[in-house]
Amino acid sequence: MIKINNLNFGYSKHKPLFKNMSMQLSNGHIYGLLGKNGAGKSSLLKNLAGLVYAQSGTLEVMGFNPAKRQPALLEQICFIPEEFYLPSVKIDAYVRANAPFYKNFDHQYFGNLLKEFDIPVSQKLINMSYGQKKKVIIAFGLATQAKLIIMDEPTNGLDIPSKAQFRKIMASAMTEDRCIIISTHQVRDLDNLIDTVIMLDENDVALKASVQEITEKLTFKKVKEIDDSIIYAEPSLSGYNAVMPNYHHEESKLDMELLFNAILAEKVKFKPLFN
Amino acid sequence: MNNTFNMNRFGLLLRRQWLDFGKIYLISLAVVLGIIVGFYGYNIPSPLKNNNFDYDGNLDMRFRYPLLLMLGFIFISIVASSYFNILGQKSRAILELMTPASVLEKFLVGVFYTGIISLFSYLLIFYIADLGFSKYLNSELAMFGNSSPKGGSIKEVETISFQIFHDENYRSYCSYFFAIPFLITSIFLLGSIYFNRFHFIKTALSVMVFTGMASYVVFKVSEQLTKNMTSINHTLESNEKENVLLILLAVTSLLTLIFWLITYVRLKEKEV
Repeated sequence: MIKINNLNFGYSKHKPLFKNMSMQLSNGHIYGLLGKNGAGKSSLLKNLAGLVYAQSGTLEVMGFNPAKRQPALLEQICFIPEEFYLPSVKIDAYVRANAPFYKNFDHQYFGNLLKEFDIPVSQKLINMSYGQKKKVIIAFGLATQAKLIIMDEPTNGLDIPSKAQFRKIMASAMTEDRCIIISTHQVRDLDNLIDTVIMLDENDVALKASVQEITEKLTFKKVKEIDDSIIYAEPSLSGYNAVMPNYHHEESKLDMELLFNAILAEKVKFKPLFN
Repeated sequence: MNNTFNMNRFGLLLRRQWLDFGKIYLISLAVVLGIIVGFYGYNIPSPLKNNNFDYDGNLDMRFRYPLLLMLGFIFISIVASSYFNILGQKSRAILELMTPASVLEKFLVGVFYTGIISLFSYLLIFYIADLGFSKYLNSELAMFGNSSPKGGSIKEVETISFQIFHDENYRSYCSYFFAIPFLITSIFLLGSIYFNRFHFIKTALSVMVFTGMASYVVFKVSEQLTKNMTSINHTLESNEKENVLLILLAVTSLLTLIFWLITYVRLKEKEV
């Protein structure tokens, strides 16, 4: 679905954000895009949506060049930005004006999502809270039936029950022909949702691996003492939270926060494991 | 699917833009109507005033022309300079650029609202106000006495549109200036996408600086070309005048097209 080849991008020529980045993303996956502040998560998403232009390299989304902003591609992309704008109208007026651009827009599904998110439909969008507005655009985006769903910090501003609802809705929205990319700092919000982790660091992809591959190759454990087998550890109340190679095919739950810190701190040690 | 232009998408986009643009636009039109009514109310001839007649002995309605031109300039330039200013705000720019319509459609909708709707709605509003006040004055002509200062009875007030459309010379003369309002909107539309903030002021300032520099260059070049030459009196023939006006029409039309083309390219290259 997405092919990135030798992508070079930066907001100034002297400070590149991506250097020769290459990656392929396919449909049927929910990708979690992680990275430090300024690593380029939002910029990568904007490149995919055609909101910024690469300095060199090629980017292909569903066979289109996103920089051309062709309607045929735009109607297949649902982009939920971190900062968004909604006009001062009621939901039905917003839908009447925007939904016709998406030929597969599912009005019934949209209504169901609004109900599930508990959105007051008679209220003007401008009078809603940030979290409510976010839920409206998530519901609208999903109802467009777009094949590529790009979300930048979607859980920011959502309350605790809404985060659970969000995970549930996103899991149910996943189909074989869809590709969902979620960028976030709130890694715990994506627990059990994403199936592939993409981590950006130092102008490139530091890690791209499925959750299954990660837990096959690494094990996440609580240990009392640190030994040589441990690649990375963080002190905790009862000892250490550690990441180590999974030599004995043990089953463990991926601790994304720990993995994130581990990759950033010990990139060289992880590289051979994930090629 | 046609990715360049589709009439259905264009129609949808017109409707969608109205959602954002419409309310504030109608309010601006109401303000413009208020200003026109205020100006007319203050300036139209009245039995309470001493001097109600112009040089020809007609009721003095000359204030209408500068009002039509000045207010029109301000209104269409403000509307045009505010159209693409949303692209200067990250959150709104994302929404606009991600709307499934082509760049050409988005550009044409911009031209439609700023170049056509704003201009013609302004002219319509002005026409209605002018017609209303002209009719009112004509129904109350007796208040101004029985005869005009030049003798004879007082002539009825003509609306501006009547004066333009019923005088062939005037109509033909005005037609040479047809492209100027479009030129103004094209400049300010470009300014609205070129600058991220203070679009109107920055565009107006740029136009002033550019016009000033261009005038200076033309003046200096003419001065150099006519150095050590003697001036002779030469009055323009009728066809020469027409040629000058034709050149004016051609240049203003060409500049309008150029500014629209640059705006289209800027819209195409717009990044968030």
